[in-house]
Amino acid sequence: MQTMHPTLLVGPADWDAARLPRAEFDARIANLWRDHPQAAGAIVYGEASDHAALAYLTNLTPKLQPSIALIPRAGEPQILVGGGVNMISAAKPLTFVERLAPLGDASKAIAAWAGTLRGGIVLVGGDAMPYELRRSLMGGMEAGDAALRARMRVKTPREIQIIRQACSKLDTAVAALLEALLAGSSVSECAIFAEHVALKCGAQDVRSLFSRDGGRTLRPFEIPLAEKCDPLQVYLAVRHAGYWVEAFARVSSSEDALGLRAESSLRALVKAAKPGVACRELAGLAAQSHPHPLCDGVVGTSIGLSLDQATLTADARLEAGAVYSFRAGVLGDDGQGAILSAMVEMTEQGAELLWPIGQAP
Amino acid sequence: MTFAQRLAEIRARLQAARLDVVVALHDGAHFIEKPDPVRVLTGFKALGPVAAVLDRAGAVSLVVTPAWDAARAQEQCPGVRIVAADDVVAGLEKALGATRPTAGIAGLAAAPYGIAKRVVELLPQAQAADAIVFEPARRKTDTELANAREATRIAELGYARLLEIARPGMSEDELAVELRWHSRALGAEDNFALMRAGPHNKAVAPSNGRCMQPGDIIVCELTPSYRGQLAQICRTIVLGEASAVLRDKYALVVRAMNAGFAAAQPGQTMADICRAINTVLEAEGYGEFCYPPHIRRRGHGLGFGSIEPGDVALDNPTVLEPDMLFMIHPNQYLPETGYLLCGEPAVMTPAGARPLTRQQAALAEIPV
Repeated sequence: MQTMHPTLLVGPADWDAARLPRAEFDARIANLWRDHPQAAGAIVYGEASDHAALAYLTNLTPKLQPSIALIPRAGEPQILVGGGVNMISAAKPLTFVERLAPLGDASKAIAAWAGTLRGGIVLVGGDAMPYELRRSLMGGMEAGDAALRARMRVKTPREIQIIRQACSKLDTAVAALLEALLAGSSVSECAIFAEHVALKCGAQDVRSLFSRDGGRTLRPFEIPLAEKCDPLQVYLAVRHAGYWVEAFARVSSSEDALGLRAESSLRALVKAAKPGVACRELAGLAAQSHPHPLCDGVVGTSIGLSLDQATLTADARLEAGAVYSFRAGVLGDDGQGAILSAMVEMTEQGAELLWPIGQAP
Repeated sequence: MTFAQRLAEIRARLQAARLDVVVALHDGAHFIEKPDPVRVLTGFKALGPVAAVLDRAGAVSLVVTPAWDAARAQEQCPGVRIVAADDVVAGLEKALGATRPTAGIAGLAAAPYGIAKRVVELLPQAQAADAIVFEPARRKTDTELANAREATRIAELGYARLLEIARPGMSEDELAVELRWHSRALGAEDNFALMRAGPHNKAVAPSNGRCMQPGDIIVCELTPSYRGQLAQICRTIVLGEASAVLRDKYALVVRAMNAGFAAAQPGQTMADICRAINTVLEAEGYGEFCYPPHIRRRGHGLGFGSIEPGDVALDNPTVLEPDMLFMIHPNQYLPETGYLLCGEPAVMTPAGARPLTRQQAALAEIPV
């Protein structure tokens, strides 16, 4: 889901070698060369709003300004860090890469580095680069985004472990929503309280959206609002150690008939999810006579280092080893809406529920 | 100045440039140093990539992604034609209709290549029009100034919170996260909370996992955004008792800042402010530290819409006018103490620059 992007990323993002050792990154980089056998090097661009590939290959979260990793097939990688020479010391703990230099004149630095290579270059994140920067780079580079995204969809045991930890924080945050609702908090107070609880649990980042119209639409926090909603429809995304998890959640002080309808669809969807299944089939199972606009034709997304790695539209097929956020939603006759979601790990046997924690699919 | 008056000035420039429309682009990745021409034209702060089209007659279309966010846009931009889209370029094509007007584009250079390339293909004859949009926004509207005052109030409350909670053993990240959340609870939708701590800081930078120690000097820029308008305060705090040298040097940077405020008079330039600050520091023998890599500017404009009048820097000849809003911050590296942060948001009045803060920067100590 798209959320309001903050101007600066401030959460904990230091590289933790015990959590993701260098060998994990070496394996990822080795796969990059397998996917691009002719390439002698890779240029990987990332910025605060979109840096999944950069984090996947270097662990770096560019908190302030863009960064570019230059990864040669032979030799050590280096990262050009945005913001000038004074940003280098702050960036050091964020990555295992030892060679950090100011981004400065990026096109010049990249050209000099490319000149040392004997072979082609893979470009990752080229479409996200500022227009002028991308135009200043040499042509003829091989796009590496699609192959890398495919690799990133399939999670390793270490990644699954991190995602489980993230789901635990998400679970605590969703529980906080109900606590705030029952305490009589307004819609914006509920969302902000849940954000705080997740941050107190050590989350790297939290994003929220909430509904003011009974679940029909979602919006970001802009100013404090006095109004209360019960049931309350919220979207929460929690990031831990680089990895995102998300929840479309509803909390209510009483029975929530619309929520139960959405839950029924979601259960059917999760139960039927297996590797190879087309999302069109899942959408059919979750179908409601009045589908929620946020779920119409979309059953969820692949999730990980970015919130939306690959939206699960009709033609997509589920993959073993991927982590998905499935969603199901419904509109009531009165125009109100409900959306619920579940985080799952797709195993060969089917969907293993990661969140909600402790519930059978 | 009102929003409508600003829009009228942009239209006048549009006509003077013999353009039919100006197209504004933004990728939805809000950054303190990246102006947002869509926000200038519509006041809307977007979730995703957006575009706005203003024509000579004053009609405005706003292309909103993701499409599901269109209801919020319609609510916040009455009188604007909202085009809901999941692809901003496809939406822009729809907004332009069958005609291909003589267009200028604002925000193209900073737009992501994947979007900008397609916009250029759509409007191959378009010329850069950043100045048409941003120059009229060099002065803030009355509403923006009111929002800046509220953002400043939140920043000062955030600073008070920092003094309450910062302690040895807490990581920089923990402190930054808590302060950003705190400002959100007070009504700021965002906060550029830049913060480092150490015995001798080379610069301010984003926080990391380092745990603070007794004797550390915390340097922070707290920059809440209230209804999309940023305001900033720059502060320096010691975990423990400040040394006499540190007190002395901090008094120097405060004096330099005051010289900057005194120089900020209508008709003077942004460069004059920088020069006045440098003069104080150079007189104390710190001339070599008045230039990169130690310092590149002594303040800056405050977005998220326009970041005019730009940097307080020797190469900025922008003439100061009432209702301009910008930071004056000496933010100086000194060899004896490391980097020191000291700065206030300033609004230009006919009588000169006035700080929006209620309490001026002063070196703070947190007992440990």
